[in-house]
Amino acid sequence: MPSLKQITTKIKSVRSTRRIMGAMKLIAAVRLQKAQAALMAYRPYSDAYRDVVLNVAALSESEDHPLLRVPEEKTNLHVLFFTSDRGLCGSFNSALIRNMQHYVKEQGEAFGNIKLSFVGRRGRDYFSKNGLATGKYYTGVNEKNSRKFSEELAAALTEEFRAGESDEIVLAYNHFVSAISQRMTFERLLPLSGEETDDGAAESSSDYIFEPEKERIIGSILPKYVQVRIERAMNESLTSEHAARMTAMENATSNADEVIAKLTLLFNKTRQTIITTELMDIVNGTEAQKGGNE
Amino acid sequence: MAEKLRLKIITPEKLVFDGEVEELVAPGQMGEFGVLPGHVPFLSVLFPGRLRFKTEESGENTLIIHGGLADVKDDTISILTDQSENPEEVDVAAARKDAEAFQKELDELQDAEASEREDLDRKLRIARARAGE
Repeated sequence: MPSLKQITTKIKSVRSTRRIMGAMKLIAAVRLQKAQAALMAYRPYSDAYRDVVLNVAALSESEDHPLLRVPEEKTNLHVLFFTSDRGLCGSFNSALIRNMQHYVKEQGEAFGNIKLSFVGRRGRDYFSKNGLATGKYYTGVNEKNSRKFSEELAAALTEEFRAGESDEIVLAYNHFVSAISQRMTFERLLPLSGEETDDGAAESSSDYIFEPEKERIIGSILPKYVQVRIERAMNESLTSEHAARMTAMENATSNADEVIAKLTLLFNKTRQTIITTELMDIVNGTEAQKGGNE
Repeated sequence: MAEKLRLKIITPEKLVFDGEVEELVAPGQMGEFGVLPGHVPFLSVLFPGRLRFKTEESGENTLIIHGGLADVKDDTISILTDQSENPEEVDVAAARKDAEAFQKELDELQDAEASEREDLDRKLRIARARAGE
């Protein structure tokens, strides 16, 4: 049985860990709130942009712009994988990585060569071990610099696709559903055409007026749309990360409470036992002395 | 044909405006254009400039937009822009000074690369729109 001193030390250490996790939970909650507000504001913008682009793409031929071109042969797949930089966010990264492994295995049959690029340290740390991490690697992305990062990434990926180095570029990230639920999503970024259009976007095609002419509009909105998509994915992923961290820390604090309660119980029991033993010693001692006097 | 147009002005930060308007004038790349109810489907790239629209409640409104897109479909206009500003909140004197500086820089950069000039031209247009020129 552990000594009273050992138990008190343990309780103390669990308490201080609990305090740290409680603080992390509060920080995550504040950051989640901010990120969620930013994401909710960004979604209508990117959705509206998508509608416009789908509309234009539906009215265009794949030869109209390099970003609409569907390669005849699919050999090179490039996946941009969003994870977090830091841990302590529950199964956020491990779930992403597990899904990613499945995806790589699946796509390996269709594509001869798969390249992974990373936003976030955790994903890269994992995949750098098995030789797939041959693409770019970005770390330190947050809400404030996501615009800048997405512009840089968009320029690089667009260039790569134009040059024919990649035949398909996919975004893999956690889609934020709610504070307790995030869903991993694989989304094709390029080529832009051939996307699923849920509503018949081409209905009023013939009398659509473009100003300036369609080719120039496409040239100006497609590259921008690539950036918007990447920034959206970044925002979704960041918001999901904060949500996951908040939930993880909340679970951790309640687990710590449980441990503390158990340890306190053990402490009381041990103390009781010690007192009982001492009492018995005293009683035995007096009895023994009595015997000696008679 | 609907009597009213629905106007949505969306930036990455927020939904700036969503409501019914009677008409809209926007700074298209091929010149200013107006939209009235019953307009044919229309897509245009916008220059930085001033967006004017008339609503029943507040009459004539003006917003400064930093370029973007205008999509007109089924009497709904979506304006997608990087940033929008209320003209009343702009420091006009500073904007005018900016515009002059950009103009000068642009004049000096006659033989610079197209992308560089384009960028400067955009800045100049924003400054001008803010100064109300």
